[in-house]
Amino acid sequence: MTKNNNNKLKIGIYELTGCAGDALLILDCEKELVDIFQAADIQSFLMAKSDNIDGELDIALVEGSVSTEKEKKEILDIRKRAKTVVAIGICACFGGIQAAFLDEKEWEANFKEVYGNIKMKHTKPVQSKPIDEYIKVDYYLPGCPIDKEQFLSTLNRILRGNPPELYRFSVCVECKWNENDCLLNKDIPCLGPITRAGCGSICINHNLPCVGCWGPVEEANIASEFQLLREKGFDHDFIKKKMANFSGTGMADFFGKLKGEKG
Amino acid sequence: MRIIKLKKDNLFPFLEIISEEADLWAPVKKGDKHAFTIIDDLSKIELETTRTIIPPKKIFTPPTFSMFSISDKGYKEDFSHITKKILFGIHPCDIHGLLTLDSFFKQAYLDPYYLEARKNTLILGLSCWPDEYCFAKSTHTHVIEEGFDLFFTDLKDFFLVWIGSSQGDDLIRLKPELFDEGLKDQDIQTYINWQAERDNAYKWNIKFIALPDLMELKYRDPLWEKLGDACLACGSCSNVCPTCNCYNIMDKQFLGGKDGKIIRHWDACTLEEYSEVAGGENFRKKRSDRLKLWYTHKLQAYISKYGKPSCVGCGRCIATCPVDINVRTVGQALLGEKPDAFWARFNKEVTK
Amino acid sequence: MKKISVEHLARVEGSGGISATIDGKVVTNVKFVVNEGPRLVERLTLGKTPEEDVNIVPRICAICTISHKYAILRAMENALSVKVSSKVSLLRELMHMGEMIESHSLHIYYLALPDYVGFPSAIAMASKFDLEVRIALEMKEFGNHIMKTASGRYIHGENPVIGGFGKFPSDEELAWIKSRAIQFMPFVMKTVRLFCELDYPDCPEEDTVYACCNPDKNTYGFVGDEILLSTGKTIKKEDYKNLTNEFVVSHSYAKRSLYKGKPYSVGALARVNNLGDRLKGEARKMYQRYFNRRWKRNPLFNNAAQALELLYAFERIPSIVDKMLKLSDPPLVTYTKKDGRGTGIVEAPRGLLIHSYEISGGLVSYTDIITPTAQNAEDIERYCLIAAQKFLYRGEEDKIRDRMELVVRAYDPCISCSAHMAEVRNAPPEDWKVRLAKLKERNLPIFIGVGERDRSDDAVGIELALKLKKHGVKDVWLESEVREREVPWNKASHRPLVFLDAVDFREKSGKVILLPLHYIFSDSALSHRLLPFISNGMSYERLKNSFVLGIQPESIEEGRKISSPVRQALLKVLDQIIN
Repeated sequence: MTKNNNNKLKIGIYELTGCAGDALLILDCEKELVDIFQAADIQSFLMAKSDNIDGELDIALVEGSVSTEKEKKEILDIRKRAKTVVAIGICACFGGIQAAFLDEKEWEANFKEVYGNIKMKHTKPVQSKPIDEYIKVDYYLPGCPIDKEQFLSTLNRILRGNPPELYRFSVCVECKWNENDCLLNKDIPCLGPITRAGCGSICINHNLPCVGCWGPVEEANIASEFQLLREKGFDHDFIKKKMANFSGTGMADFFGKLKGEKG
Repeated sequence: MRIIKLKKDNLFPFLEIISEEADLWAPVKKGDKHAFTIIDDLSKIELETTRTIIPPKKIFTPPTFSMFSISDKGYKEDFSHITKKILFGIHPCDIHGLLTLDSFFKQAYLDPYYLEARKNTLILGLSCWPDEYCFAKSTHTHVIEEGFDLFFTDLKDFFLVWIGSSQGDDLIRLKPELFDEGLKDQDIQTYINWQAERDNAYKWNIKFIALPDLMELKYRDPLWEKLGDACLACGSCSNVCPTCNCYNIMDKQFLGGKDGKIIRHWDACTLEEYSEVAGGENFRKKRSDRLKLWYTHKLQAYISKYGKPSCVGCGRCIATCPVDINVRTVGQALLGEKPDAFWARFNKEVTK
Repeated sequence: MKKISVEHLARVEGSGGISATIDGKVVTNVKFVVNEGPRLVERLTLGKTPEEDVNIVPRICAICTISHKYAILRAMENALSVKVSSKVSLLRELMHMGEMIESHSLHIYYLALPDYVGFPSAIAMASKFDLEVRIALEMKEFGNHIMKTASGRYIHGENPVIGGFGKFPSDEELAWIKSRAIQFMPFVMKTVRLFCELDYPDCPEEDTVYACCNPDKNTYGFVGDEILLSTGKTIKKEDYKNLTNEFVVSHSYAKRSLYKGKPYSVGALARVNNLGDRLKGEARKMYQRYFNRRWKRNPLFNNAAQALELLYAFERIPSIVDKMLKLSDPPLVTYTKKDGRGTGIVEAPRGLLIHSYEISGGLVSYTDIITPTAQNAEDIERYCLIAAQKFLYRGEEDKIRDRMELVVRAYDPCISCSAHMAEVRNAPPEDWKVRLAKLKERNLPIFIGVGERDRSDDAVGIELALKLKKHGVKDVWLESEVREREVPWNKASHRPLVFLDAVDFREKSGKVILLPLHYIFSDSALSHRLLPFISNGMSYERLKNSFVLGIQPESIEEGRKISSPVRQALLKVLDQIIN
C-alpha cells in the first residue's frame, strides 16, 4: 500500500444512515485514539474533527446503510477515492435494523405512514441497503456496534497491508468459551447459532438470548434454526421477524425461499 | 496405592488448608448447571455435581490465551496465564479426558503451554453418580486408576481417599490428623456395595466395540447428509468434549508500537474455516463431511490406534447439542436404531 | 443573494447541517437539516414483541442508547403493569449517570471547547490543554465503564430488560465505581469552573420556553412521570402531545415540535433552568455561584449547564452505590398482560425523550418516539436566525457561519436520532419571484395589504391590494377590513397567507423580499404593523404558512406620493401575482 508524503496512510471515516455507533466506538477507543491519529493521516472524520478533506484515500471506513439517493452518490464517490473500502457495523454490512422491510412495497407503505405524502426536497429516499449493493467492499467488520479490540486489531492489520483476521464462526463458539448454558436447550429463542461471533457472547453471558445484532454468520444454517424454533412452539411470523430484525437483507434470500411455506 | 478415610466434616477444613498452597478450583453452580471456577468461598463448592458445562481442559488450555507477545524485538513466550492450581472435584471420566489430552500433547511435538499448566496443577478427583446422559461405563471411564494426586470416593458419611502421588501425600501431611488410617471391614463393605449400586445406576450403554466397523461400513450412508442438514455448525460438540484439542492462532497487534499478542483459541473440525487452506480451498466444505471427520476421530481412528475410543462417556455432547447430534444418537443410528432426535425429524424440504 | 451554509456540521454526533439564505441585508431562510436517510424506526417496531423492540429501539442512536433503553423500558413496564424493585431502579439510574458522564464530558471537552479556545479539534487542542484533554478522556471512559458494567457493553448493551436486568454487577464492581467517582471530584469541580467561567457571547440572546422531566419528590434528576415547563406548568406524561405537537418539514427527515406554536428547548440548560434550585451539595453551591438570568435566554450556556450536571452525577453516584450494596439481586419480574398502553419519559443527555407504545395481543401496535433533537430543531433555527440577522445588521457577515455552528453545537444535537445530508440549492437573483411561484403552486394564496394611504411609500401594501382586487384576484383583503371583520384564515391554514407591506430592510429602495412571517419578531422586527398579527390568535399552522412580501421604501412622509422605485417594484409584483 502506498504512503503519502508524511509516510502515513490516508484514512477517511464516513457515516451513512445508522446510529453513528461505530464512529462513536472509534471515539470510545479513548487511550488508543491518539495512537490512531498518529498511526494514520485521518483525512475525514466528521464526529471528531472539523478540518475534513475529501481527497484520495488509502482506506475508507464506512458506517451505516445507503438510504437516500444522496448517499448512493456519496458511497460511489468514496469508492472512487479509496483504494480499500471497509464496511464497519451491521448497517454497512447487512443493512441494519432499517433494512428489516424485506419487500420494496412494504417499505414504501411504511414510508408514507411516517412522513405522509410530503415530498422531501433535500434528497430522495430509497430502501435501506448495505453498501455492497452499490459498490465493491474489500473487507467487512461486523458488529452492532463494532467491537473495540476487533476494530483496533483490524485497523492495525490493514495499516500494515494485511487482510483482517476475524472470527468466522457463530456466537455459540464464544458462548461455550464463556461456559454459558445453551439457552436454546431451555426453549429460549436464541439466534446464537446463525449469528456471527465477535461480541464475546455478551447477551448470553447476561442470561439473555442472542438477538442477532452482528448479522448472519457465513455458514448460517437458517433452515435448521428456523425449524428448531418452530418445534419449540414459536410461530412462523415471530421467527421470521426476529431473524430479520437486524439484517433483513442478510436473511432475504432465505425468506424468499420460505414464501411457499404456511405456518 | 494407599487408601485412607476422611470424615465428611473434615473435608472443608482440609480444603481450607490446601487452598493456601495454590489456587483452589472446584465446581460451583452456574445457573442450573455447574462450572469449574477459582474458589474464594468454600461454601460455594458443589459436591454432588454431574458434568460441568465445559470440561476441565479449560484449566490447561484456556479457550483463548496469549502464546506470545510480539514487539519490534521479536517474540516472547507468554506463560502468564499459568499459575499453581489445585483442581478439586474432577470426576473419573474427566480425568480420563486429561489422560487422552496428555497422549496428544506429548506426541512428537511437546506443547509447552499444556504441559506447563499440567505440571502446575494437582488433580483431586471425586466420585460421581450417573444421570440420564452419562455412559462412562460403556467407555470404561467410570473408574480411574491413575492420573490423580488424590481421589475422593463419597460414601455418604465419609470419603475413602486414594493417594495417587507423592504430591498428593504431601497435601495429606499438611494436616494428617484430619484423616483416619485404619479402615474397618465395614467401611470396605460400604465401598463394595456403593460400587455395585453405582454400576447399576447407568441407564444406558453403547456397544463401542462395534462402532469402528460400522463407521467404515456406513461411511457413505445417507445418515451423514441428514446430520449435515440439521447441524448448526456451532462447534459446541467440540468445545464441550473433554478430548477435543484443536486450536487456531491469530495475531492481535496493537497500534502505536505497543506489544502485540499471538492468541491461541479453541477450534473445532465442525467449523467451516477449519479445513480451509491458503487460496480459499476447503477440503470439507460440507457439514456432513465435517461431522464424519469428528465421529471418525471419536469412534474409529482413536480406537484403532489406542484401543479405546476418544470418548469418555461424560454425556456433554448429549446435554449440549441443540439439534441432538451426539455420540448417543449417532451411535444408535449407526447401530440401525431410529433415535428420537431433532436431526432425525428435520426435513430441510419443509423450510425451503 | 448569497447562502452561507455549513453543510457537514463537524463535531456533532451524527451528520447534519445548518444553512442561512441571505438576500441583501435580510436573512430569508434558516434551515437546520438532518441529512441522514429515513430509518422508519417507529414502523420497524410494529408487530414485534415488547422484548424485541427493547432490542431494536435503542439503535436509534448510539450516544443516547441508554436513554432510549431506559425510556422504552419505562413505557413498556407502564403498559404491561410491571413494577420493578428499588435495586433495579437504582442500577438503571446508575447506567443513566454513566451515559450523562460519557456524553457531557465528550461534548463539552471534545466537541464544544475547541470552538472557545480556537482549535479545529480536541486532538489539536491537546497541545495547550494536555491535562484537561487527558483527564476528560478518563472521565468519559469512566462513563463508558459504568454503562458497560450496567448494560453489558459500551454501546447497545442488552442487559437492561423488561422487569429488571439479565445480571447484576458484583458488589466489587459497584464499590470500584463509587471510589472512582470520588477520585474524580477535584477535576469535576475544575470542569464546572472552566465551563461556567467561559466567555459566552451575548448573541443570540432571547426568551424561550424550557421543558424537562419533573423528577419525584422535588429532587433534581433525569426521570419523572410528568413534564415541567419553565412557565411553571406541568403536563402528565400521557398528555405529552400537548407539548410536542410533532410535524414534518420538507427539508429534513427529523420531525419537529412546537409548544403552543412556539419553539421550545430541552436539554441540560432546560433542566438547570427548571430544576436548578433543587440541586444539593457542591452542585448547589456552584449553581448559586454561577447561575444568572442570561442562562434563561442564551443557548450557549448549555455547556455550562452540562458541566454542572457532571458535578450532580458524580455526587449522586456514591449514594446510589451505597443503597445498592444493601440490597440483594432481585429476579426478573414476569408479566402476563398482553394488552396495554404506556408512556415513558426520561432525560437523554440532550433533553426530554418520550416513548409511547400500545401493545395488543402481545405485539406492539403503536409506537411514538419523540427525540430531544426533534424538539430542539425549531429553536435551533430560531436562535441561528437571531444571530445571523444581528450580525448582518452589524455588518459582520463573516461571523455568521461560525456563530451558527456554535449555536447548533451548544444544543449538542444528536442528529443520528433521525438524521443525514442536505441539498444546498442556489436561489436565483430575484429570489422572491421563485418563492412566490412556489407558494402559488402549493395553494391559492390569500393577500392582505398593510399600511397607510397618503403616507408616501407606506401606502404600497394598500395600493397593491387595491390593484389586485381591481384585476379580479380573489381573496385580497385590506388591513382595515381584516380588523373590522373576522377573517376565517385559521380555518384555511392550508392556503398561504401573504402580507403585502413596505418593510424597512435597510436595503436599496424598491427591493422586494418574500420571507416567512415568523422571521419577523422582537428586536429584529422589520415591520411594526405585522407584529400584532403574529401575536393575536394566529394558530401554529397558520403562522407556519404565513409570509411577508415586503418592498423597501425610499421614504415615509405624510401626504406624499409613492416614490418612483417603489412604484416600479409595485408593478413588478402586481405583474408577478396576476400572471
